[in-house]
Amino acid sequence: MFERFPFGRCFCLFCIWLVLSPCEARAQTKEYQVKAAFLLNFAQFVEWPHAAFSGRDVPLCIGVLGDDPFGPALEQILNGESIGNHKLTIRRAKRIEELTSCQIVFVCSSEHNRIQEILAKLDFHPVVTVSEVADFAKQGGTINFYREQNKVRFEISTASALKSGVKISSQLLRLGKIVEPSPNHK
Amino acid sequence: MTLPVFWRQFLVWWQQAACIGLVMVELPELNAQQTNAPGSAPARDDGAAAYKKLSLEDLMNLDVTSVAKTPQPYDRAPAAIQVITGEDIERSGASSIPEALRLADNLEVAQVNAHDWAISARGFNANLGNKLLVLMDGRTVYTPLYGGVEWNVQDYLLEDIDRIEVISGPGGTLWGANAVNGVINITTKSAADTQGLYMEAGGGSELQDFTGVRYGGTLASNVYFRVYAKYFDRNSEIFADGNTASDSWGMGQGGFRVDSEASPQNHLTLQGDFYSQGEDDGSTGHEKTSGGNVLGRWSHTFSGDSDMSLQLYYDRTYLSVPFAASPAAPPYYTGFPAAPLVDELDTYDLNFQHHFQLGERNNVVWGLGYRFTHEVDEDLSVVRFSPPVLDQNLYSGFVQDEIKLHEKLFLTLGAKLEHNDFTGFELEPSARLQLNVTDKQMFWAAASRAVRTPSRYDEDLEVVTGLVNPPHPYQFPTAFLEGSPNFVSETVIAYELGYRAQLGAKASASISTFYNDYHDLRSVSATPTNATYTFPYPDIFQNNLEGDTYGFEASANYQILDGWRLHGGYDLLKEDIHVKPGSVDVDGALNETADPQQQFSLRSSVDLLRNVELDTMFRWVDKLTMDSSPTGGPIAGTVPSYCEMDARLGWRVNKHLELSLVGQNLLHSHHVEYGFPNSSKEAIERSVYGKISYHW
Repeated sequence: MFERFPFGRCFCLFCIWLVLSPCEARAQTKEYQVKAAFLLNFAQFVEWPHAAFSGRDVPLCIGVLGDDPFGPALEQILNGESIGNHKLTIRRAKRIEELTSCQIVFVCSSEHNRIQEILAKLDFHPVVTVSEVADFAKQGGTINFYREQNKVRFEISTASALKSGVKISSQLLRLGKIVEPSPNHK
Repeated sequence: MTLPVFWRQFLVWWQQAACIGLVMVELPELNAQQTNAPGSAPARDDGAAAYKKLSLEDLMNLDVTSVAKTPQPYDRAPAAIQVITGEDIERSGASSIPEALRLADNLEVAQVNAHDWAISARGFNANLGNKLLVLMDGRTVYTPLYGGVEWNVQDYLLEDIDRIEVISGPGGTLWGANAVNGVINITTKSAADTQGLYMEAGGGSELQDFTGVRYGGTLASNVYFRVYAKYFDRNSEIFADGNTASDSWGMGQGGFRVDSEASPQNHLTLQGDFYSQGEDDGSTGHEKTSGGNVLGRWSHTFSGDSDMSLQLYYDRTYLSVPFAASPAAPPYYTGFPAAPLVDELDTYDLNFQHHFQLGERNNVVWGLGYRFTHEVDEDLSVVRFSPPVLDQNLYSGFVQDEIKLHEKLFLTLGAKLEHNDFTGFELEPSARLQLNVTDKQMFWAAASRAVRTPSRYDEDLEVVTGLVNPPHPYQFPTAFLEGSPNFVSETVIAYELGYRAQLGAKASASISTFYNDYHDLRSVSATPTNATYTFPYPDIFQNNLEGDTYGFEASANYQILDGWRLHGGYDLLKEDIHVKPGSVDVDGALNETADPQQQFSLRSSVDLLRNVELDTMFRWVDKLTMDSSPTGGPIAGTVPSYCEMDARLGWRVNKHLELSLVGQNLLHSHHVEYGFPNSSKEAIERSVYGKISYHW
């Protein structure tokens, strides 16, 4: 067809050149900024038992386990924010043991082979676990992100929340997709 | 990092507005970069912090891969834009795209008969209106035959329409020729958003029966598809004398769409539709239209402030309009057989756009386009096009820069240069200024030039007389009406001024005013007669009209209660189109403007119960003056003003099943909306239909 439209061929070549020319790839930035904002909202819409905090004014800790995909987004979104008396802090670690005192733990995709192991270490801890690993909530986690039509959505497991003793607000339950742990993953 | 105060407040307001259910949408990919609402995008590094002010609902509605990297509510765009959402369409009970367009206050929408519609913005809703550009998913749907839109074949499964954006005023700088008085941009949902099974069916008095089905699934991880099909039959309207207008019709359409989000940087879309339609055309016969299209688009994001898209489509339409036989009257009249005018059109269109940030202050978008059309018109009857086969090339390029002059002040400069085969190069520049007075109030002003390039109708038309063998010394004209190879583009220079405001938490209002200065509008000149050439034919199209129009479009939303929303709209349009000094127009400058001077609409949306919705829509349309025909001389008829009401009651039985009952044009048994008033003018009848829809 392009023999018929020499203009079109030049056009195509030009576009290919344009795409191949070196460019800073920051396409994922926005996705993680949005996800970081979700984490902030999760912190607001979850009620932890008093025992989850060692004191009235101790920080609310958001842990990041594994290879952090957020870049600077977490700090940009969470720094300076507080939930009630609890200032938000971010803690990054490679081992789950370092994060058991956190209130929210984000399990990075790098850990996808160790989900059961990680969740077992958090059993009966008042910790909300969040991940992007597919079916994380079905595997026993609390919340997992997924994408639908380029939009960030989340699945939430009330059973996991019950198990960790946290109370999740109805607003969060209304907006998320409720899933139950699947026996296959046990 | 400190955010500009206005932006911070704006976000808070936006969040509140979303919470109370005001219609707020993100601009779609294409328009986000085109209309480029300035002031809504925080500086790049501030972007992250902006998100934390958004509610969960807002966050869930953000397109994380689109070019609009930060939330951009449409009403920050410096233009007279109105957005009809999929939900608006559903709640209105509209059963077709033209019916849905009644929801836009800034349009004139008039139903001509059972299958034809006259739709325009800011006047010029003439016979074969030609000053509106209409796109479906980036595909231009006006016909180069006469520059207008065959509304009866612009259809889709309404359930899968994401939104319709209606911009009144010129859009030539971005969209090119024909966007003289407005642009309508219809966007369907991504296949990712239409997963699962959907079925609808129903019927009633005018919309006799209809059925639609869609199924969406995944082809691979992050590759989504849907296929759909629909069919309907519509009943005839009636003439003023109560006889049937014999204009019943039916149409079937099917199609698919595949969206691949294989990586966050790349979005690929492949879609196609085909349709076939048949309608009774009074006593003349049966009109047939069919067609199809296939479109591919690749959107690539380089970074947070740089992206491009490349789109290629092919579109084919086939139109067959019947003409009745005309018996011969020897020796002077050959007569004509009953024969259809057949128009076959193939369009190939390639479009590229690139958007990037240049320095701190410049937001640049530019693009190139090429369109090739191959059109075949064959006719043995009176209406002919010469040459019968025409290939046309359209080249275009545009660049637009949005310059941040100040935290609150943005200047957008742009121009499009097009080359078409009829008139050569055309330039369509524009300048827009936007002032965000506060986070809740915005003024905008614009000056633009747009053109309506000639169509085949203007250049190639030939309505032949069939007159032969003139007795000596007389001469007969060969044609009654002819296009002119000297026809030039019609131009407008438009000046606009607009204001939009959020008034407290529950109300919003907007007003757009305009003054349009038109030149070289289409006129009709007679051929001089003399002692041996006694018929004043052919009439020939010329560019002898000019004039101006002015007016305003106002609309307001008010949330009375949590579940009760009111919307009102009012348009005023004054037109002064006249013949250039020293020229003539056979139609006395009447043929271009068949427009109501005023329009008023009021809509109420009530959630009666948690799962029962009641929507009522009232409209009043001023009288309009119609010329009898393009060649009949200035014989004006008046279509009286009318008021009408539509209503819809919807009941969501459970999460799968929904029942609704819709009444259209409820106030009168029938009324005329458009057309020269005589005994063969169709009147639009009251219509009631029921619908069952099922999601799985």
